[in-house]
Amino acid sequence: MKKVLTLILVLAMVLSLAACGSPASAPADSTNPEASSAESDASADGTNFKVAMVCDSSISDGGWGAACYNAMVAAAEDLGWESQYTDSIDVADYVSAIESYCQLGYDMIFLPGNQYSDATVQVAKDYPDICFAVLNGSEDLPTDNIMSMLPNAQEIGWIAGSLAGLMSETGVLGFIGGMELDTTKTKLASYEEAAKVVNPDITVLSAYAGSFNDTAKGVELAKSMINQDADVFFGDASAVDSGARQAIDEANGDGEIAIYDIGQPADLLGQNPCVISSVVTDNAGMLKICMQAVADDIFGNEVIYGSLENGCLSVGQINTELVSQEVQDAFMGYVEQMKNGEFIK
Amino acid sequence: MDFASEMILSTIRMATPILLVALAELYSERAGLVNIGLDGIMTFGALAGFMICYLTGDPYLGIMAGAFGGVLINMIYAFCTITLRAEQIVYGMAINIFAPAVAAFIYRVYFGVSSTLAQGTLMAPLAIPLLKDIPFIGKILFNQTPMVYFAYLMVVFTAVFFSKTKAGLNYKAVGEFPRAAETLGINVIRQKYIAAIICGAMAGIGGAYLTTCYVNTYSDGIVAGRGFIALSAVIFGRWSSSGVLLACLLFGFFDALQLNLQVMNNSTPYQLFQMIPYLCTLVALSVFGIRRAGPKSSGKPYYREER
Repeated sequence: MKKVLTLILVLAMVLSLAACGSPASAPADSTNPEASSAESDASADGTNFKVAMVCDSSISDGGWGAACYNAMVAAAEDLGWESQYTDSIDVADYVSAIESYCQLGYDMIFLPGNQYSDATVQVAKDYPDICFAVLNGSEDLPTDNIMSMLPNAQEIGWIAGSLAGLMSETGVLGFIGGMELDTTKTKLASYEEAAKVVNPDITVLSAYAGSFNDTAKGVELAKSMINQDADVFFGDASAVDSGARQAIDEANGDGEIAIYDIGQPADLLGQNPCVISSVVTDNAGMLKICMQAVADDIFGNEVIYGSLENGCLSVGQINTELVSQEVQDAFMGYVEQMKNGEFIK
Repeated sequence: MDFASEMILSTIRMATPILLVALAELYSERAGLVNIGLDGIMTFGALAGFMICYLTGDPYLGIMAGAFGGVLINMIYAFCTITLRAEQIVYGMAINIFAPAVAAFIYRVYFGVSSTLAQGTLMAPLAIPLLKDIPFIGKILFNQTPMVYFAYLMVVFTAVFFSKTKAGLNYKAVGEFPRAAETLGINVIRQKYIAAIICGAMAGIGGAYLTTCYVNTYSDGIVAGRGFIALSAVIFGRWSSSGVLLACLLFGFFDALQLNLQVMNNSTPYQLFQMIPYLCTLVALSVFGIRRAGPKSSGKPYYREER
């Protein structure tokens, strides 16, 4: 009996180590029952394309990871591709995780973030036949088998900033970042810029949590900013943002809602009472363009831009109870200007 | 609210989960079990606490579930290191890899992958009558969640237990010199299992504190290395409960300070501020010295019939 128990425990340990320690050997097969939800029949021309996503945050974080995963699944379902993912991996495992999908014969690897650029360049050299699509990749990243998808971070910041500027009573705005990525820095700068166009007296408080997962840091940062009179928040930090929204809701209490939050990248209206609107990025749209390029064999050397103009960027639903009609009209006016390239030249 | 009281509140909020888990490690190491799997146990406790709290709406049941989940996970470690006498560091690490993966798996199976976020209820603060009326301190220190009081009472209890009671001295003997303890009639193996149960329960409660008293959501990585900070707090605190308390408060304070400084100085690179808690730990360690003061047989497996 004792021996059997020992054996079982040892087996459990070995299996867990194999399954979780090295994504290279078993890309999350054991942890994702729904991974192959898009396992549909072969596409029109008879070949079955496969796309995989490698992600450092969790796909069930109710923010960035979830939005990217859902985008991939949506795009894959539309085009009849198979999809697979590995999530919550460490920086040290980027390369091995990407490589393992290459070895499994995936046609395209989707990398949802600028932070995977170096690993992608490293792996892409060795697998010239596999296509790599980097979301938020820089403009000089694309090669023969790498494509960038670049939602216009400046426009994202502008949209949030103009609404925040219109809504703020105290003239103090908050911004919480996860890490100091290029796109986050651009969002912060243009958020401040747009808010100042709307209301020249605005000051923006900003801070970085140094993590995309530490929800408690979001609570602390938001509390500290509320203490300094910030009354409209925007963030770029996945699960940390949900901590910030919790702190805002607590500060509002049961009374009138006077501190607001603007969500991204999915439409978050209704998730928390303080959300007034969201800046929605249609990653699926951009991803579909990339996948079509793979299917048509014209992949590579290109940046797919996501902007207000081509509809890959849009304003989410607006909370009409908190945002007055005049503010909505003024906000939509600014968004129209951005679309036409007339907002800030 | 003024800056000073906000800082104190923030410090207490940040120090409490670390304190609970550091005490867990203290109980474990006092019986000779170095458990570096705290991060994993915490993660599982955080999930168990969140799930039960979300399903029943009762944070207290959540805390109990966290404790139970923590014990469950730690029993794997206990069985392997006590009965099978395996290497403690290796199995601690295995727990750190195993438990978060199990937690992520359960969360995903239950909640699926969606952009909507599951939000539970948070434990309400409990003001202590009379004490809460003390000016300034009362509002800050005596209007906390019951788990905060529990953590600080545990510090006092632990100090008394290990220095003033016979049971506590017997407990410590197991970590210092188990063979001598055995000759005096102490059941070493049983004591080690008891230690593992206490450690699992406390670390699980520390994790559940995060999701039932601190934030109302669960996400992978929510523990964010707090288990390792707790581990270093025990060494920093020289294996005494008052030292551990000091270490946790110090770390909580500097973490709160760095977040507040970031918000106030937008022009300074934030990486500088983020170094503060770790720098202070380094400085404090070098001032106090890193002479080993822990239980003598900590980390060593116990063979009853060894010569």
